[in-house]
Amino acid sequence: MKRVVLIASLCAVAPVFAEAPQQVLAALIAEAGGKASPMQGEKLFRGKFTGGKSAESCTACHGDDPKVPGQHIKTHKAIDPVAPAAQRDRFSDPAKVEKWFKRNCPEVLGRVCTPQEKADFAAYMISVK
Amino acid sequence: MQNGITWKNLAILATLLGLAAMWIGNAPADDDAVFPMPRGKTLLSECGGCHTAYAPGLLPARSWRKMLSELGNHFGEDASVQEPVRLALLKDLEDMAADGAFADMRMRRIAASVPANAAPQQITETAYFKFIHDEVPKSFWQRKAIGTPANCIACHPRANEGRYGEREVRMPQ
Repeated sequence: MKRVVLIASLCAVAPVFAEAPQQVLAALIAEAGGKASPMQGEKLFRGKFTGGKSAESCTACHGDDPKVPGQHIKTHKAIDPVAPAAQRDRFSDPAKVEKWFKRNCPEVLGRVCTPQEKADFAAYMISVK
Repeated sequence: MQNGITWKNLAILATLLGLAAMWIGNAPADDDAVFPMPRGKTLLSECGGCHTAYAPGLLPARSWRKMLSELGNHFGEDASVQEPVRLALLKDLEDMAADGAFADMRMRRIAASVPANAAPQQITETAYFKFIHDEVPKSFWQRKAIGTPANCIACHPRANEGRYGEREVRMPQ
């Protein structure tokens, strides 16, 4: 009985630490006005751009397969896979998601990402199985 | 008191030998390059997000001060952080810098290898770094998994914990 209570209380506490990617995605979709397209997200992920400061595409650092670790083009640091299917803590912390969009969009696009682009990108990454 | 080989004397001998062995085993070796790291996770998450979370003791405080005042253009990238985060990082970096109050011998050698009027922004620029890595051939740095001498963690697996000991070095192929 004690064990059941312990497990039950652990289950009750667990969601406090991190949100599910679906929740984070829902918030991004709400921000974007209700819609997100994984296909558009993949186009953004694989697209080549010229306005960026340091990279011409997301894949330059993250690699072509979001389930495989990437490597920073400048520092050569290994980067965890972006897809939550391969790296569980991806898209589980809204603040982190926002931080990396803010940091990386200007590097690739030369501007911040629109709410629609963020929602599409997240929808694609979460759809990767 | 009884002299000679008795069970009691043997037990005392064994205990002392055991304690001495534990003491020797725990003692840091001369080549253990261990730098203090801040307690919090800020340095690891903010700096370590894009590159090795370099130990503060690898550069003098004036280098860190210059760097943290120019985060908007950090080696060509905008790495700016919120002001409270920046101040917290700066405090840790200054406290544990190579010329900080609690610097050990190795850190002092690093600080001494930097000219007084210079505030190097790259650890790889310091004379100490060049001296300590002088046996590493150029071709090593160019391996795909390393890429640049700034990629400490490629060969020092526990660099993010401030551990650069030579015995821990693993060269990726």
